[in-house]
Amino acid sequence: MMEALFDPRMLSLVADATWQTVVMVFLSTIFSMILGLPIGVLLHVTSSEEQGGIIPHPVFYNVLSRIVNILRSFPFIILMIVLMPLSRLIIGTSIGTMATVIPLSIAAAPFVARIIESALKEVDPGVVQAAKAMGSTNWQIILKVLIPEAMPSLVSGVTLTIINLIGYSAMAGAIGGGGLGDLAIRYGYQRFSPAYMVCAVVVIIVMVELIQFIGDRISARLIAKR
Amino acid sequence: MEIRLMNLRRNYGSLHAVDDVSLVIPSNTVYGIIGRSGAGKSTLVRLISMLEKPDSGEVYYNEKRVDNLSKEGLIEERRRIGMIFQTFNLFSSRNAEENIAYPMEICHMDKAYIHKRTEELLELVGLEGRGKAPISTLSGGQKQRVAIARALATKPSILFCDEATSALDPQTTRSILALIKEIQKKMNLTVVMITHQMEVVRDACDRVAVLDSGHIVEEGLVSDIFSSPKSDVTKEFLSSLTNVQESIVRWSKEGGHYTLRFRGNSTDEPIISSVSFSTGAVFNIRAAGVQVVNGEEMGVMMADIGPDEETARKAAAMLREKGVLVEEEKKEAR
Repeated sequence: MMEALFDPRMLSLVADATWQTVVMVFLSTIFSMILGLPIGVLLHVTSSEEQGGIIPHPVFYNVLSRIVNILRSFPFIILMIVLMPLSRLIIGTSIGTMATVIPLSIAAAPFVARIIESALKEVDPGVVQAAKAMGSTNWQIILKVLIPEAMPSLVSGVTLTIINLIGYSAMAGAIGGGGLGDLAIRYGYQRFSPAYMVCAVVVIIVMVELIQFIGDRISARLIAKR
Repeated sequence: MEIRLMNLRRNYGSLHAVDDVSLVIPSNTVYGIIGRSGAGKSTLVRLISMLEKPDSGEVYYNEKRVDNLSKEGLIEERRRIGMIFQTFNLFSSRNAEENIAYPMEICHMDKAYIHKRTEELLELVGLEGRGKAPISTLSGGQKQRVAIARALATKPSILFCDEATSALDPQTTRSILALIKEIQKKMNLTVVMITHQMEVVRDACDRVAVLDSGHIVEEGLVSDIFSSPKSDVTKEFLSSLTNVQESIVRWSKEGGHYTLRFRGNSTDEPIISSVSFSTGAVFNIRAAGVQVVNGEEMGVMMADIGPDEETARKAAAMLREKGVLVEEEKKEAR
């Protein structure tokens, strides 16, 4: 026990794992946004007129909405296993930090899509109507009205996504991903060194708190400027 | 720009929101469309302003038909009209001048021109130096001024006002209406004002159409409508005018059998005395006052005329001859 506490390798192991987690979360946030943002915008603009849709298309909306729901109901750990071949195809391996980014991004994308959709839904329909009456194209409404008007909620949504991804990335450790989750499982659980476990959990808590704090600040500042 | 509506219809399920409306809104006027809530005003303005397509009927701007435009044509045409709303509908993500710049930005206008025009517009609506103000820091009246500036940015020839003053207090309403009238003259605009407030029609409009359950029940010059309202809806609107009520002094609780309205120069002559002198009629004045309709003064008098029906009829005829509008209270109404 004492030996584990003062394991000289611990510091560098934790630092490495933290860095891996940061990279994983950072990349998968970006990729899940790239995937989820267009889907979220599509969901919103094709929703019914009462919901604020500017190009209502019930069939398209319902199909896309179902797909998003199905993907969201997959337990993350299953999704990761299912997507392993995809990682092997793109990255060349199905274990390690980079290989985890792919299932993480795909798992978070439908979540991001819903968050974007609900943020856009909050935009005052009167404002959209005014933009339409002035002769805005649909692209102009999306880029110049919907997204800027929804920005504070979008920032909160991104914050939530990042925090979720930190949790997911820790889970990824269980099946061969890198990062703090991997460290906690391999050293903390399988080698019975609670110090590693505690350390990993503390670092994750600090990361979550930090992201939440920064996200809240940005969102609040955006609102204050209005 | 003249706006012509021909047999416009729009149904929502079994509700005939707009039912066979034909109307000519002449160029260079302030045209009021008044109706109670649910009368179909909002639908009508959405049809006239190309925000919605009618089920049947046609809308023309001058000679151009605009109700069946293609997607591109629609966007093109919408950039030539301005619109303001009850809830202002400003972009909260933009400050005052960025709001005003929006319609010019979407037409890809030159940045330097946009800046110059924005300054011009801020001055026009009396908000010089407030360009950088976030929208939430502005009062209701100031917000509507920004909205007006935004609506006029691309120099439209039509301005639609959809209940533009309904969220404002009476004093601010007056100042916004004065601004709209001033701008209308300066820019030769055709202004279409949708409202449920008779005050707005009285203070700002040249002509008015009264809308009730999707139909136009009355249309004409504001001064005519005020002096001789024909439909019950219009009468109801007129009686709701608080200012008129206040300016009429009542002597007796009983209403007069006759309502006399004196317009323009007829207010300067001693008409009552001369009618009384030549017909022998006696007037018992119950209430009297002055109301100002669109800048025109109008005397109102509620009176009974005696001594008998015969003389009263003669007196009424003579009054009408002299340009006084005489309205006889229906017996069954009392």
